[in-house]
Amino acid sequence: MKRIMLLTPLGVCVAIIGALLAFSPAEAEAMNNQPSPRNYQPLPPTYNPYPPGILPSDLNAEIQRVETEVNSIEDEALGEWQALPPPTLAGNPPTLQGTGYQAIQILGQLLNFDSNMSPLRDEACGFCHMPYAGFSGPIPSVNLTMIAYPGSAHYRAAKRTAMRYPYATNFPVLQYNDVQSLFFGGNFWDGRATGYLLQSPSAEQAQHPPVDADEMGLADTACIAYRLSQARYRPLFQLIWGDSFDIQWPGNTEAICDTPAGSAIFRGSATPIALSPEDRTKANTVFNHWGQSLASYEASTSVSAFSSKFDAFLAGAYTMTSDEAAGYALFNGKGNCNSCHLDGVSTTLQPGQTDTGNIADVRPLFTCFGYANEGLPLNPAVALFYETRPDSYGYTPNPYGFAYRDLGLGTFLRGGFGSSPNPNSQWLPLAPTVDGQFQVASARNVAMTPPQCPTTEAPGPYFQKEFFHNGYIKSLKQLVHFYNTRDVYGYNVTSGHCPAGTTERVDCWPLPEVPNNIDMTTGDLGLTDQEEDQIVAFLQTLTDGYTTPYLYSDAFTGSCMSGGSASTQGNETLVATPPLPECASAICDSAPVPGPLPIP
Amino acid sequence: MRKVIEGLSLNRLFKLTVIASTACLLASNCAAQELPPAPKPAHVMIKQGPALEFARSDLAIIRWTTNNPGGTDDHFAVVHYGTNPKELNEAAKSPVRLNRDHAQTMFRVRIDGLQPKTNYYYFVTSTDSNGVNDGDKSGVKEFSTPGPGERVEADPQPLAPRSN
Repeated sequence: MKRIMLLTPLGVCVAIIGALLAFSPAEAEAMNNQPSPRNYQPLPPTYNPYPPGILPSDLNAEIQRVETEVNSIEDEALGEWQALPPPTLAGNPPTLQGTGYQAIQILGQLLNFDSNMSPLRDEACGFCHMPYAGFSGPIPSVNLTMIAYPGSAHYRAAKRTAMRYPYATNFPVLQYNDVQSLFFGGNFWDGRATGYLLQSPSAEQAQHPPVDADEMGLADTACIAYRLSQARYRPLFQLIWGDSFDIQWPGNTEAICDTPAGSAIFRGSATPIALSPEDRTKANTVFNHWGQSLASYEASTSVSAFSSKFDAFLAGAYTMTSDEAAGYALFNGKGNCNSCHLDGVSTTLQPGQTDTGNIADVRPLFTCFGYANEGLPLNPAVALFYETRPDSYGYTPNPYGFAYRDLGLGTFLRGGFGSSPNPNSQWLPLAPTVDGQFQVASARNVAMTPPQCPTTEAPGPYFQKEFFHNGYIKSLKQLVHFYNTRDVYGYNVTSGHCPAGTTERVDCWPLPEVPNNIDMTTGDLGLTDQEEDQIVAFLQTLTDGYTTPYLYSDAFTGSCMSGGSASTQGNETLVATPPLPECASAICDSAPVPGPLPIP
Repeated sequence: MRKVIEGLSLNRLFKLTVIASTACLLASNCAAQELPPAPKPAHVMIKQGPALEFARSDLAIIRWTTNNPGGTDDHFAVVHYGTNPKELNEAAKSPVRLNRDHAQTMFRVRIDGLQPKTNYYYFVTSTDSNGVNDGDKSGVKEFSTPGPGERVEADPQPLAPRSN
């Protein structure tokens, strides 16, 4: 993709202001008819506040690769739609008879891989969620370095790893269970997609990145309706949902939707497109149906396939290898992994009873839908820490720099920086009890990679992934080793400063970023090196695509990595944590303040 | 430890799976893995420990093992401690996730904010996630923190049963 870098930051601002003020409806309409928006839209200077070592050297080439892959899948989805016999609306309540299931799932796929759903038309949802990576991050070098994926406005980036789509739709609406005194459900690492309104956390999850200034970054949710009104597959959207696109768009709509969210010109407004109340309602309806369509895709067997070796094992169609079987026994026994990553074993044991192996759930999800603080160290390679100055749009992603701390669910309950407003103020007092907690992700597909790079583990050839919310862990071996030895090799240092004679991620684990509420089920499991490897072997049985091919698992056109060992994978890119300032007041002094320990 | 992997015939597993599926369909919320609290034993007793697992100048980890207390999925391991054995006024607690399939539960607590080269006394107990005590309580024990930069490993390292 050509990037035209002719304008200075000041020039960009002037151009945007001029466009927002001067566009007449006729001009906007004329622009809407342009065949290729990238031909007329000058791109701003890239934002690069990063020191050496944060942005990978192949970033531009890799961005272009993924964009090409995304567009290829989009084209195939368009073909699927056109080949699909249209469903017929019949009955009362009206039902899309015949191909309704396929139709809405294809629509969700079309939405997921449509790069037009970003201000610079360069970033689809799928850009950060590709099938061959289990619908998580598709760029090995990004997974190795900056962790968060560059947004539509390059190189803004957020702070966490891209969560996998499969089985996200199985999470219930976020609720606090008074009997258990625990939160269950929601989507996102911090649970901020509660599902409170649409009663589907994944549908609400799909509504966040398109308007997150650090991600796809549309300035107004109505931009989704505006861009959909121009989409080739608009007839399918209307067939399914019956939505009206008869909206009186102001003349500056195109310019607003071309300008990334957070830009100073919007003065903090979330609704810069001036719509009548009736038209705003129409746009909101389309936006809700956007989310629900994407959730339908995520729930489909194209994404949540239940087609792993483990599923075949449950059906009696696969015999585990000795290492996989040993790993499964460790997963449920000495490793205690299934205390949270529930595997569907029986749950009716009485004291003294022996487990007979009854399977309580034929499609276990390997999550408890809960939250935990596993004590991950602060990862100083996370892009957000460096985004302390404004970009050419006047937007500063993180004014707190290294004073930022990721308190996860706790920050969400406070509606704090980097999260979203909390729709249930009754939960606010609970924030200190969940500081540092992140969602217990399904272990399914944690090991999924493209077929040409058949493992996540060095020496490979391997596909570099990133694990946990902040990507500090670079291989499954390290992941299991961290659970196993976090407290055995815990040192009072930050990442990049392990004592001489030790090796970070091997026999030195730096301080937890958030010392409160650390889950002590883990940290000293007593597993041997071989037992860690066996658990990794078991985790690899949870990869979909064994009983039936996983769609688009072959879409990867990049390169594998090779060499080294899984234990020290990624250590060559470790970044030395600078002296950490105190946690920013906006995060750690927000009532109710974290306790009993202050966040360092 | 489960015997399902090699000891259970696949035919039997399939039958059990069908039974489980049917039961699941009859349940109100089959998909949600949000379960009612597990059954509780008549008594919760400390089987092993408590003992120091590890200490450095500012931090110590204490652990012990009980029979599985049941009840809520999360429990808190609690240590009451102080430098005077008659005034154990400080408390530290850590969340621990029960495994419904394990006969025993290992409790572990992080005690942060300790002073270097100091002798501490402590006793342990545990509660469910609502703060209701499990009924277990240890006698008073002690440990010492080392100087800055030093580490103390328990000697011998306590070895608790790690699986049922």
